Amino acid sequence: MAKVFLNGQPVEHAHEVHEHISPMSTYNAVIGALFVLTGLTFAVSFADLGPASLTVAMVVAFIKASLVVAYFMHLKYDDKYHLFVFLGTIIFVGIFFGFTMFDLKSRDALNDEQETFVRWKEMENAGKGLAVGVDNVPERRAKVLAEIEAHGGGHGGGHGEAGHGGGEHKTDAKAEHKAAAH
Amino acid sequence: MSNEHAHAPAHDDDEHNPHLAHHFDTMGQQTAAAKLGMWLFLATEILMFSGLFLAYFILRMFYPEMVLEAHEYLSKWAGGINTVVLLTSSYTMALGVRSIQLGDVKKLRLMLVLTILCGCIFMVVKYFEYSAKFEHGMLPGKFYSAHLHGYEIDGLPHIFFGVYFMMTGLHGIHVAIGLAIMLWMFVRAGRGEFNAKNYVAIENTGLYWHLVDLIWIFLFPLLYLVK
Amino acid sequence: MSTAVQSHDPHPATEPSYLVSKRGLMSWLVTVDHKRLGLMYLASVMFFFLIAGILAIALRTELFTPDQDFMSAQTYNQVFTLHGAIMVFLFIIPSVPAALGNFLLPLMLGAKDVAFPRLNLLSFYVYSVAAVFLIVAILTSGLDTGWTFYTPYSTSTGTAVITATTGVFIAGFSSILTGLNFVVTVHKMRAPGMNWNRMPLFVWAIYSTAVIQVLATPVLAITLLLLIIERSLGIGIFDPAMGGDPVLFQHFFWFYSHPAVYIMILPGFGIISEIITVHSRKHIFGYKAIALSSVAIAVISFVVWGHHLFVSGQSELAGVLFSFLTFAVGVPTAIKVFSWVATLYKGSIQYNTACWYGMAFLWTFTVGGLTGLPLSTLAIDVHLHDTYFVVAHFHYVMVGGTVVAFIGGLHHWWPKMTGKMFNETAGKIGCLLVFIGFNVTFMTQFFLGHQGMPRRYYAYLPEYQTMHQVSTIGSWILAAGLLWTLIYLVHSLFKGEKAPSNPWGGVSLEWETQSPPIEHNFHDTPHVHGSPYDFPEIDKSGGSAHH
Ligand code: HEM
Ligand SMILES: [Cu+2]
Repeated sequence: MAKVFLNGQPVEHAHEVHEHISPMSTYNAVIGALFVLTGLTFAVSFADLGPASLTVAMVVAFIKASLVVAYFMHLKYDDKYHLFVFLGTIIFVGIFFGFTMFDLKSRDALNDEQETFVRWKEMENAGKGLAVGVDNVPERRAKVLAEIEAHGGGHGGGHGEAGHGGGEHKTDAKAEHKAAAH
Repeated sequence: MSNEHAHAPAHDDDEHNPHLAHHFDTMGQQTAAAKLGMWLFLATEILMFSGLFLAYFILRMFYPEMVLEAHEYLSKWAGGINTVVLLTSSYTMALGVRSIQLGDVKKLRLMLVLTILCGCIFMVVKYFEYSAKFEHGMLPGKFYSAHLHGYEIDGLPHIFFGVYFMMTGLHGIHVAIGLAIMLWMFVRAGRGEFNAKNYVAIENTGLYWHLVDLIWIFLFPLLYLVK
Repeated sequence: MSTAVQSHDPHPATEPSYLVSKRGLMSWLVTVDHKRLGLMYLASVMFFFLIAGILAIALRTELFTPDQDFMSAQTYNQVFTLHGAIMVFLFIIPSVPAALGNFLLPLMLGAKDVAFPRLNLLSFYVYSVAAVFLIVAILTSGLDTGWTFYTPYSTSTGTAVITATTGVFIAGFSSILTGLNFVVTVHKMRAPGMNWNRMPLFVWAIYSTAVIQVLATPVLAITLLLLIIERSLGIGIFDPAMGGDPVLFQHFFWFYSHPAVYIMILPGFGIISEIITVHSRKHIFGYKAIALSSVAIAVISFVVWGHHLFVSGQSELAGVLFSFLTFAVGVPTAIKVFSWVATLYKGSIQYNTACWYGMAFLWTFTVGGLTGLPLSTLAIDVHLHDTYFVVAHFHYVMVGGTVVAFIGGLHHWWPKMTGKMFNETAGKIGCLLVFIGFNVTFMTQFFLGHQGMPRRYYAYLPEYQTMHQVSTIGSWILAAGLLWTLIYLVHSLFKGEKAPSNPWGGVSLEWETQSPPIEHNFHDTPHVHGSPYDFPEIDKSGGSAHH
């Protein structure tokens, strides 16, 4: 075979595989950076940054993700079309998030203004810890509640498996449990 | 997909290379096709997970206090350890690809074993996390019963745990699939199917594994850390 | 012919066609040949077209009188749901890409096969499993949510929602795999000289479709997964009783499903581009405009989904934005229609069956597309939403557009696929019946809807009776036309004349190979030197050469 074609174009050195092989130092540096960044988010999560904490965490996550994509997944050295596919995907995710959030945000503002709010409000049921729904469908809420009671502590598989049996119930000391959770 | 075109072992890259499927003209074309296919597949994965991330963000928007309170019940340490484990596994996987680029099958197999090991640790930690949640009744949706176990979380925590289990569960399934694929690659590498000129299956396995890591990089702060 | 050098089969009789190169049932069941898979898809989608078509006729017949005839309200709900769900997920979405696309894409690119033949086989079986799930859903407790599965009804109804959505979920994966395969095929499998400007427009259309399939379908998958989980565990994402937001479900669903309507129509556009230019023997007008408008439609289709939520409680602000963006889709769509009409202008048109379908499409699709505009006008949609106007709109685009194009394409490539010619007169009779039946059925529904007849009701006020009866009679004519078409096509398989390799004088690569093609498509890899639309005869006589 004289000539070889790829993508409809002749290929000069068809049999050569030219893949980029990164030196060990690159991989070591990247994993080092990833660990450092992980430590950073972890540490920052103990500080009280308030609403900024989401932004900080996301920025760090994006940096980490970019490192993985660029060096571990070789996108930096790869066919540019793969980069295009990847970034294109991110853009479509952005569209999906953007429009949906936009609607839900602007809808809430409107609902609040017109006092036609139908979503469950946290404050009204505060403290009851009940998994209940919107306020204007009491029957359904009653149904859900009944279902929860019926499932009670007895189901879910977690009990038997962890060896506590079904005996432990509401009577257990809250504080003790809260502590045990962490 | 990563295994679409590998058949028998071979050594040389002429036109009758046994790795070359009949409908391709060159190895280059075949490799390029496999890699593009993998990237497109990753795109679908990202979009699929994006739905869950969106659900999470919307939940935060609807019920911010509840999410903040409920997420305190996830173990930061377990999440943190798993992050380190998964990052390490990505590193070893990347080194595995590098080894086979240099033609070192032995080292490739070693790296695969290390990666699988990390994946298993991840799953074990997940198992303990899950059992704790089960035990405390912190279950999705209508199975939520933490208040019967003495945990009072204001609002609608059953949604939070629903989303938590969906996200980590789907991610966990991906980890498990990744482990199976790597095991298989390990076997195939043992049969001598890969060499410095034919390793696209390993590369694609790596891409998949890194994606699983990528998703965790976002899951971890969102579910465990963010205030 | 300027396209290929190896245009004359050097050894025509020596190699058997793909139909007979291997024999036995097994050779079909495990085939990785894209042409055989195309035929297998064709048979499957036709089967589901028939099933869902029978359901449709049942619906229309029930509506012949204002009162209940032979279906209860509950049965009616189940029948229209299954009609919609099967038509959309098992027929239209796979129809053109998986059946015709599979068959033609490698041929048109001059390739031996798609990039991942085994994946192709896999996606066929994934599709079959999905079909089984949907059939099980029908046979157990049915499904009455409408094809859109809106919450909270879908989380509370007693019917087989989980089985059905699992089926659709699986069908989605089949669609993703096909799309992925096609994108890679177009990128990596083109024959020497086949650059982007020399690809047939059908390939461009299938490519754009494949991109949407890859980008949108995963969101359908996660939506349905969340719905299944919502229904089984009640996590409270979508169900308001559990604290969720039902409109959120609609966002998720339409983020997929609006692009999906372009998954349905874009391949139809591709077929029409081929039919119009080949049968008018004239270079396509505005090649680049048509090709790029496919891509533009693919992209824009992702930012308009909110037009399905105008009256669902979406915020007014979002409604206005989505309304505006929806109008934008009209632009690339109109570019295509104008280009097709301009292609016909001064062409030497061969009025045969495929061309008749092409012309029928120009009318029906345009009506469908234009009626989309009033629907995308926020204020007007408040009146028209959930009426028969919407029903008529989407049937004009989906049946009048996609199905008409699909049948036209089937006639255009039938000689290539089967090696047999069908009877042209029979074909024209069929086309006429389909065209008349279709318009009688659905044109009336625009009026019905405009007068306020809501969709999805088994009974109605007597005032609407006349138009409902006209519509029902139309549906019978349409069904007769389709059955007629089925009969003469099947007949041609046994009694048809042997087809020449290029019956219509096309210039794209699929006409270079014999009919039906050999297993590896071409004896030698073709080399492409020019456009797929340079028709030599007309260049000399008509003097309307384009390059
Ligand atoms: C020219 C561009 C188009 C425009 C501007 C347009 C606009 C619209 C609008 C605004 C609606 C919502 C009506 C309502 O529910 O109140 C709608 C519904 C619909 N359209 Fe289109 N459309 C266009 C083309 C198409 C095409 C090409 C298809 C499919 C091949 C399609 C399929 C549908 C379907 C299936 C529905 C109804 C879905 C349902 O509620 O069940 N449309 N269209
Ligand atoms: Cu739409």
